[in-house]
Amino acid sequence: MAPEVFTLAQTPITSHSFSPDRRQLAVSLNSNEAQIFSRQGSEWVQTETLAEHDKLITSIDWAPNTNRIVTASQDRNAYVWQQQNDPETGKLIWKPTLVLLRINRAATHVRWSPNEDKFAVASGARAIAICSFDPENNWWVAKQLKKPIRSTVLSVDWHPNNVLLAAGSADMKARVFSAYIKEVDQKPAPTVWGSKLPFNTVCGEYASPAGGWVHSVGFSPSGDVLAFASHDSSISIVYPGGPAVYTIRMSTLPFVSLTWTSEDSIVAAGHDCRPIVFSGNEQGWQESGTLDDATSSKSNESRSGFGGGSPTVGRLKAGAFATFRDADTRGQSSMAGAGTGGSDSKLLTIHQNTITNVRPYEFNGSTVSKVSTSGVDGMLVVWDVNDVSALTSRLSATRLR
Amino acid sequence: MDGAFRKIDVDQYDEDVLHESELYDADPRSPAEVLDDVRQRQGAVRSLLAKNDISGALSVILENAPYGPNVDDAKNLNLQTLLTVLNTTKSTDITNIIKTLSPDAQDTLMKYLYKGMGLPGWGDISGSVLLGWHEKLTEVAGVGCIVRTMTDRRTV
Repeated sequence: MAPEVFTLAQTPITSHSFSPDRRQLAVSLNSNEAQIFSRQGSEWVQTETLAEHDKLITSIDWAPNTNRIVTASQDRNAYVWQQQNDPETGKLIWKPTLVLLRINRAATHVRWSPNEDKFAVASGARAIAICSFDPENNWWVAKQLKKPIRSTVLSVDWHPNNVLLAAGSADMKARVFSAYIKEVDQKPAPTVWGSKLPFNTVCGEYASPAGGWVHSVGFSPSGDVLAFASHDSSISIVYPGGPAVYTIRMSTLPFVSLTWTSEDSIVAAGHDCRPIVFSGNEQGWQESGTLDDATSSKSNESRSGFGGGSPTVGRLKAGAFATFRDADTRGQSSMAGAGTGGSDSKLLTIHQNTITNVRPYEFNGSTVSKVSTSGVDGMLVVWDVNDVSALTSRLSATRLR
Repeated sequence: MDGAFRKIDVDQYDEDVLHESELYDADPRSPAEVLDDVRQRQGAVRSLLAKNDISGALSVILENAPYGPNVDDAKNLNLQTLLTVLNTTKSTDITNIIKTLSPDAQDTLMKYLYKGMGLPGWGDISGSVLLGWHEKLTEVAGVGCIVRTMTDRRTV
């Protein structure tokens, strides 16, 4: 099935999260307000605005069972939004509840725990705030995971047992912590990550292979395997029981987001502007293809010019490079003859700029059948994860040129 | 106005400051051992070059390349050994040789190419050779290889 493509805005989409029924969508359009879009036919129409933050909203998560939205922002605050009846008009509106994060730098990423009774806020304050509700004061209070984080935490992901938390950080490490909160959690059963798990236990610490920031982390559906993508253009899959770490070095630009779609497959995307699928198991992992199929829809040329191999140079020469060369050597400005100049600088991928978020969209039993991506180009795309087209054959074809 | 206060190293008052040594695992060998190792490799490379085994010679140079602080002598010597190999390779052979290298060796080779291009004066001597290798290496290993050169703190 062809991917569904929506252009939501001309500005970057910093974060997106769907409502439980997928009829609504919360996004941050690179501003201090979160927008709620509703699906009307094949369009998304903006219906509500969540305005409370002072600075850019960095991350949004919509809890699927309790229907609450949490937003995290560079203003060092997070809010939990709940739908309530407005006492004056009687209409349902989103009301914010304060979260006492106690961090002195921006909040960078937020995720609800599987039971939706806690959430984790990553921050630039070298800490992760684990927040739980305090009914006496009607606000959310935080306990901080600090050691041994040495730099900004860029992403978090919960283990299905509601206790363990993975975090990727700019100190080039991915870590697994215990975020056990006595008031909220039952004693967790032992896992491959450990059996005694008081708060802030470090259950694992893994360095990125060539010293890149760890942009994204994710537990497999069972929670027994951890994957992380880092800025050294690599993705690593960790089997703690092994102990084995499989690393795939990419020939492309780095990934910034990833999500597991089943116990043996991962979708990752980032600066290369197209989602890549990886598959594997305890024996090893490999790249199995891309969801953004080049050949079928547009042209026989290789897609994104950033892709592995020779097309890089070719695309640059054809696009922006040619514009400047013409301006330089012939005094031609392609601005005047807009026809050709505009189409040349278009990427062959669907996304026209970095993909910053990959999230599960539709489930089929325990596996994910569709994922959604959003990026700097203001587009939101829903992909069928089984629609994988081989990357390898096309790559070898371009190499033969 | 006195601008001396701008030169104060404010990091020294920060207990949590991140040190260079915490960014990567240090080489367990002492600087003298590393230099010794690089000298021995220089000999091995010469004999491989005499047999015209260029990819073997490159692998020897690029494996366990010296990195980190205090081993500048060894780093420069290894770079010179590498340059003798690069300079003696026919440009038509480059792509096939690069394909025989391991991904690790490809990444390390890219680091050396950038180091070579960055040294003052070196561009005049071997600039075109380095650029030729850079072009071929990028075709084989992709831009990911360049990204890793930029991110990796284990500089050669």
